[in-house]
Amino acid sequence: MQFLAYILRQTGKNLRQTWGTQVMTLLTVTLSVLIFAFFFLIYTNMLRASARLGDDVRLIVYLDQEVTEQMRPGLEKKIHDFGPVEKIVFVSRTEAFARLSAQLGKEKDILNDLGPDFLPPSIEVYPLKNLNDLTRISQFSDFLLTLPHAAKVQSGSDWLRRFGYFTNLLRIVVLLSGSLLIISMTFIVSYTLRLTVLSRQGELEILRLLGATSAYIRLPLLLEGMLQGLLGSGLGLTALYFLYQWIASRFSGPGFLKLFDFAFFPPELTGAILLAGVVLCTVGSLFSIRRFIRI
Amino acid sequence: MPRDASTDKPLVELVNVTKIYPPDVVAVEDVSLRIYKGEILFLTGMSGAGKTTLIKLICRLETPTRGLIEVAGRDLSQISTAGVQRMRQKIGVAYQDFRLLDKQTVLQNIAMAMEVTYASTKVIRARVEELLALLNLSDKRDKLASELSRGEQQRVALARAAANGPSLLLADEPTGNLDPAATELVINLFRHLNEKNGSTIVVATHDPSIYAETEHRVMTLNNGQLSAHPNRSPRQIELFEA
Repeated sequence: MQFLAYILRQTGKNLRQTWGTQVMTLLTVTLSVLIFAFFFLIYTNMLRASARLGDDVRLIVYLDQEVTEQMRPGLEKKIHDFGPVEKIVFVSRTEAFARLSAQLGKEKDILNDLGPDFLPPSIEVYPLKNLNDLTRISQFSDFLLTLPHAAKVQSGSDWLRRFGYFTNLLRIVVLLSGSLLIISMTFIVSYTLRLTVLSRQGELEILRLLGATSAYIRLPLLLEGMLQGLLGSGLGLTALYFLYQWIASRFSGPGFLKLFDFAFFPPELTGAILLAGVVLCTVGSLFSIRRFIRI
Repeated sequence: MPRDASTDKPLVELVNVTKIYPPDVVAVEDVSLRIYKGEILFLTGMSGAGKTTLIKLICRLETPTRGLIEVAGRDLSQISTAGVQRMRQKIGVAYQDFRLLDKQTVLQNIAMAMEVTYASTKVIRARVEELLALLNLSDKRDKLASELSRGEQQRVALARAAANGPSLLLADEPTGNLDPAATELVINLFRHLNEKNGSTIVVATHDPSIYAETEHRVMTLNNGQLSAHPNRSPRQIELFEA
């Protein structure tokens, strides 16, 4: 108990002696965590959206002629020739018109001047969930275009491809900001502790002469690094949470966030980021302790 | 009273110890010395005779170029870092240059020695008050070390060395900046530690006033070589031979 009290008191003393540098370090750690966590949050949401979009993939084959009941088995067989699918839905002109009318709701009046035949008939093909490879979807799309009376195939693969590129780009940004996080936390905390050590060099030398144990000298410095990590990560994540809340309240409704079901980190991921911050800063302080303190 | 040194195992033993600083400055040469538990030993000699080096060798601030040093039966060259730390907690050293922290108070400077042993705040407080009273420094308790006179700083350094009731106290020129009254206080502190705690005390000094009348052993270092003090009493001769 006495040991713990000394370690805590010594840590407090260190923090007071170099408070200016400590605040700067805390801000740097906070900003690093905020930048990394911000991109990581977007990335994780994009990944989730990407997975969901992959699940919702369907290919629509627009036809230039209505499909009769007799034609259906033949078309279904041909589609299955490419591979098994989840389901196939035939949509007639009238059904397409009814759907559009239902989607427009109160504004369906605009369809009054158009006849129920103005939309083309189509076949909606829902591939199996495991068909999430864009090249394969593209091949399937090309195959469907060879069906009798097929005029156009809409697969959304171009959009998915662009979405994939964006997600990859974001992955690079996350990796870069992650590297920034590692560098800033370990090196800056290490540098700050070096300043602490230098400012207390005389005292540390006397402690050494008085027989202070390694734990007595090193633990407060280690604790200082851990505290920097905990507070910096905590503040960074708190700032991100408020930023998220602000964005969510400003852009709520049928917009971008609604489309991607934008969500904050789950508690376990928040804890993991916090822990990573603590570990990185502790590693930074260990560097300093090993390099600059002679026991 | 001086103890009879002939029977016990020594607390400190130096066997043919030589210390040469680069490139070829011989600070201590072929010194053999036994210091017994409960003994008060005066090491005298001119400046540069090797007294400080000898003290540094005993508390392992320096390592010998040749020879063996044992403290409490343990060879200092074989002792681990943790072992050195434990040993230093039991050895009080009052340095010639005091080594106080200028920006800390007298109380904090003395307490520091006890804090490293994780003593309770209550125990530290009581012990510091006792030492301050013994050295007539009670009114300086909350003064910064930098605000004290040289003599007062010297007494604070001694109080810090004595704080843990050390089994061995090494004092390097402890009265160099003191007036006769303060010197008397320091001698009383040594006597108090020796009689009450059984501390072994080694005093390196060139101040004859503190050992002239003593019945304890007095040794002289001259150009790094140790010998009995030339003006020794029959009792001192007897102790030296032992």
